[in-house]
Amino acid sequence: MKRTTRRQFLQTSGAATAGAATWLALGKAPAYAQKRELTFLSWNHFVPASDDELRKQAEAFSKASGVSVRVDTIAHLQLMAKFAAEAQSQSGHDMIRTHDAIPFLFESQLADVGDVVDKLGKQHGGWYPFAAEACQTKSGWRAVPWFWISFPATYNMAHFKKAGFEHPKSWDELLKQGKVLKKQGNPVGIAISHCGDANTTAWSVLWSYGAKVFEADGKTPAINSDKTAQVIEWWKELFKDAMEPEVLSWDDASNNRFILSGKGSWIHNPISPYNAALKEKMPIADDINHHTSPAGPAGIHSAVPILGLGIWKFSKNVDVAKEFIQFLFRKENYDAWVVASNAFNHPPLRHLADHPIWARNPKFAMLPKEAEYAHPRGWPAKPSDAAQRVDEAFVLPDMTAKAVNGMPTKRAMEWAQDQVARAIKGQLKVG
Amino acid sequence: MFGYGLILPALVLLTCLVAYPFGMAIYFSLSDYWVGSPGPFVGLTNFREILGNDVFRQTVQNSFLFTGVALTLKTALGVWLAVLLARDVRFKRVLRGAVLLPWVIPTALSTLGWWWMFDSLYSVVNWTAIHLGLMSAPGPNWLGQSNYAMAAVIVVNTWRGLPFFAITVLAGLMSIPREFYEAAEVDGATSRQRFWHVTLPLLKPVLAVVILFSTIFTFSDFNIVQVLTRGGPVNTTHLFATLAYQIGLQGGNLGQGAAISLFLFPMLALVVFLQLRYIRKE
Repeated sequence: MKRTTRRQFLQTSGAATAGAATWLALGKAPAYAQKRELTFLSWNHFVPASDDELRKQAEAFSKASGVSVRVDTIAHLQLMAKFAAEAQSQSGHDMIRTHDAIPFLFESQLADVGDVVDKLGKQHGGWYPFAAEACQTKSGWRAVPWFWISFPATYNMAHFKKAGFEHPKSWDELLKQGKVLKKQGNPVGIAISHCGDANTTAWSVLWSYGAKVFEADGKTPAINSDKTAQVIEWWKELFKDAMEPEVLSWDDASNNRFILSGKGSWIHNPISPYNAALKEKMPIADDINHHTSPAGPAGIHSAVPILGLGIWKFSKNVDVAKEFIQFLFRKENYDAWVVASNAFNHPPLRHLADHPIWARNPKFAMLPKEAEYAHPRGWPAKPSDAAQRVDEAFVLPDMTAKAVNGMPTKRAMEWAQDQVARAIKGQLKVG
Repeated sequence: MFGYGLILPALVLLTCLVAYPFGMAIYFSLSDYWVGSPGPFVGLTNFREILGNDVFRQTVQNSFLFTGVALTLKTALGVWLAVLLARDVRFKRVLRGAVLLPWVIPTALSTLGWWWMFDSLYSVVNWTAIHLGLMSAPGPNWLGQSNYAMAAVIVVNTWRGLPFFAITVLAGLMSIPREFYEAAEVDGATSRQRFWHVTLPLLKPVLAVVILFSTIFTFSDFNIVQVLTRGGPVNTTHLFATLAYQIGLQGGNLGQGAAISLFLFPMLALVVFLQLRYIRKE
């Protein structure tokens, strides 16, 4: 082995230090890393084939444009913390997958994408209003609506047939039929816990009974009402007579397992369990079907998750990111992506929504219609960071959980009213 | 001068990794700071806000219960395990190594295992107990009922922290000279008396340090609760760290998040001060 003398060592390390110092001083990465790259932070899709297709299209875009695209995916519950870290440090990815009120929470951090939204809207027959509302802040479009997820009921036809029912049309019928089904050994299941599905269903039921979390001005808490009391009484009865206590500990995958295990008869969830059953060739796929989200005295309302594509203002690739977004929305690309997700990803643009995949399978046929019942969280107020905080703090499921665990309805509502007031108080001052 | 030069690297590290974040946290907690958008100085408003929040008060209660019970269990079981490990048995080295496993595996990973064991539908804990006739079906809903959920996070924390106690106490045991035991035996002390009057008093300094460290670790636990319950059911397992994460990072309110995580600081500082003084006296 060649021995390094002290002098040689000093020379080499001196050169290395000088090199590093220049690099730091110039604030530029060394030349070999200078090939342009667009980075996109997204979620682990509940239907993984959808991400495979996305990566394939990203590669196609790279070839066409010469800008390589990196798609990073992480668990959906971790996205929020990652966004916060990137906004705080003003570095990280160029593009992010937004959800719910993120465009409002990061209104001052996300680039305006109004030009892309206009172009795509004209190309594809216009945006659904609920999807547009979720991305258009007072100061402009902070994300391009990417897709929404229908939130119908998923049920086991065999269990319902055995009990002599078709399926519930309203939340009230769900309670009546659920009581019989639980006695039969096939309870229904809705999460009342710290998970995304619990939030979605809680908003949907509240709205169906005419209750609301905010007044239309978005500044007044409105959850403490007779209508909410009615909803809580409904939850209490459903919890006691139609569900198992396990719903208090559920995560977003629990209800999928519950219906696929063959025990559960009914869940409120996107179509992912059915898709999983098809993919794994589980016999239960034949028994599983979907129906429209149930109605209440005030009609059908659904708090569908609305996902968007946002670009950080600090990104040096805003223009490339805009091009990439338009590439993803080319009809052939978007269609292929919908097919890969097996009808899970719903287009927020009217013409793209006319895809045969929904009409072809009778179990999917009713899904596109869910768009008529959809609102962003916060409705009748505009979406806001306050609505986002109500969700992040799981105020609605916790109110329900307190009540089903024995807290008087009135006190549970007062607790929620206080929490909603706190969420509003913290409203961002965007200037 | 040269001497000061030698401590410079350590000083730089401490400044960058401890003092700077700590200073930032104090700055955040005293201002209306939101993710990505600094706000004005607001004094103690954030602290007043969190004290008025029912969820925070619940969290304080949870943290004390969690730390109190877990620490007691870890101390008692840790000493017991250490005494057992100190015996001359076959495979002594393998055993001592194996005991460390829960502490060595990344917490997030091992807690996932526990999470499956407590699953509402497929809990292996319930399945085993039901088949052994110890429970009637379907058994407790571990992560869905407040008391059971608290029990579950305490069990996992104890399981994970036990090796740290056992191995450190074991080291303390090894340093006790054999002569003391021989003398006690000559005086006719039973094994229980030997433990209470020889082992325990001589272990005190080691125990004090271990308990000190563990108090801090346990109060600031995050992984276990985040993976098992995310603070649920109904916030009954939220600890300072998980609530700070929820409000500061997920809800975007960095000011309040920092206030929550700093809330314990004065109290922990006092505990550390008292314990260190006690150790020095010993």
